[in-house]
Amino acid sequence: MVVNNLILITCRTIDQGVALEGGKVSRENVRAAAICAFDREDFKKLDCLVGTPVKVITDYGEVLVYSTISEEGPHPGIIFIPMGPWANQVVNPDSQSCGTPTYKGMKATVEVVPNGKVLNAVELIKTLIEG
Amino acid sequence: MEVDVDTKENKVVEVRNGCQIGTKKYFASNPSNHRYEKPLIKEKGSFKEVSWDEALDKAADILVKAKRPLLYGFSSTECEAQGKGVELAEVLGAILDNTASVCHGPSLLAIQDVGAPTSTLGEYKNRADLVVFWGCNPVHAHPRHLGRYSEFVRGYFRKDGRNDRYIIVVDPRNTHTAQIADLFIQVNPSEDYELLNAIRAILRGTEVDGKEVSGVPMKNIIELVNKLKTCKFGVIFFGMGLTQSLAHHRNIDAAICLVRELNDYTKFLLTPMRGHYNVAGANQVFAWQTGYSYSIDFSRGYPRYNPGEFSSVDVLIRNEIDASLIVASDPASNFPAAAVKNMFKHPLISIEPHHTPTSVNADVILPPAIAGIECEGTAYRMDSVPLRLRKVKDAPGECLTDNEILERLIEVVKKKKGE
Repeated sequence: MVVNNLILITCRTIDQGVALEGGKVSRENVRAAAICAFDREDFKKLDCLVGTPVKVITDYGEVLVYSTISEEGPHPGIIFIPMGPWANQVVNPDSQSCGTPTYKGMKATVEVVPNGKVLNAVELIKTLIEG
Repeated sequence: MEVDVDTKENKVVEVRNGCQIGTKKYFASNPSNHRYEKPLIKEKGSFKEVSWDEALDKAADILVKAKRPLLYGFSSTECEAQGKGVELAEVLGAILDNTASVCHGPSLLAIQDVGAPTSTLGEYKNRADLVVFWGCNPVHAHPRHLGRYSEFVRGYFRKDGRNDRYIIVVDPRNTHTAQIADLFIQVNPSEDYELLNAIRAILRGTEVDGKEVSGVPMKNIIELVNKLKTCKFGVIFFGMGLTQSLAHHRNIDAAICLVRELNDYTKFLLTPMRGHYNVAGANQVFAWQTGYSYSIDFSRGYPRYNPGEFSSVDVLIRNEIDASLIVASDPASNFPAAAVKNMFKHPLISIEPHHTPTSVNADVILPPAIAGIECEGTAYRMDSVPLRLRKVKDAPGECLTDNEILERLIEVVKKKKGE
């Protein structure tokens, strides 16, 4: 299933914060930050189980992450990916000359990829270096 | 906070009263498969253990040969090492930047524009009866903030703790912080600027057209303004919801102006919710040594400041950098993909205790002792109060402190440059 016209915001979560301390190349970081949190009603439109990989596509790139339902809803039309290398594949790098990229508020499309492989942080960066 | 250390094994064995993140930080300092203990150089795609002299020589070679090196990070180390970073940047004629560049840089820009009415956290603890969290989620990002300074804590004039405070959260989603607040204002994403200015207009007595602003019904905005006006001592804590959305520093400009105008009615202040534990220190050190707090270019021999031109992400996206030294930071995880791609096109030196996406792809890895656990130093809290960091155990292996590593690197660089 594909859901269009979503707004992507990157955010912090406690799990992502904990994973940053010495666990950046571990599975712990994948579980904490390679996720996309949906509003409960939006998630129904995807017609998949929680944890199914989804491809998040913006004007700036695409990335495969695990889907999950937000504990902090309702926020219809808005999806959240914790700050980290996965979110950074799809954020707007334009800083409008202030130095800080626009990490929040990108238009996004989400596509369910049931057999997709979510890369870990090192594999993901490797695709950038080699790509 | 209490930390138990097994002095024989030189290991942290227990941490009490720390938050989840702090506790993990202490345990992660123990020797493990993700901790570097010896200097490493990459040769033919794999890392080789080398002596400090060899590693520093290679690092200095890379930096001296580079025409436009970037020195980035510094926010998770202590102030003395940050000072050495400034010295090295000056010797090299490099670009010098810290993590505020991708975080609260816009707050610094706004503060330079319009000033900032602010205070230390102790004042808020003892006096604030109205606390606004705008675009931040301290339950997740600053787990001890609510308990120590802003929400549940009992203060001198706020003897009943949480019951003596009115908590307002402004955010696009009903965050866990919002779920325990008294008033939650759900604003549309990237429309904080409009809401801030609508609040300012209503505060000035102007009638605002329309039934809603930024998705917030007019009656809720009026209720919010009345709450802000009638408190005894209010504070706005703001996070990256304001600095990283489309309006960047314009958001903070508006928030600071709102706070200034609220002071016509009552006492009101604001404080940014900083991220890395010593990013405020990096701004302080850079500012007192160069005149500027981030995005500094030394290529002409004297410091110049221009975010957007000399800020790390922008120079990397324009592919201007031909070598980088990353200190206590992980830009591979934190920068947008386009910047990361260009960063790894050129040699990279990483001063980093743990395996990170940046360090595993570096050409030289210099393993430091972790400041505040394995060496002493100074760090600035988010309200710019300097605190002394203590040493609780020795660093594993051959790790040196960030300060020592940079000091020795400066010596080698100076020798190579013939100074």
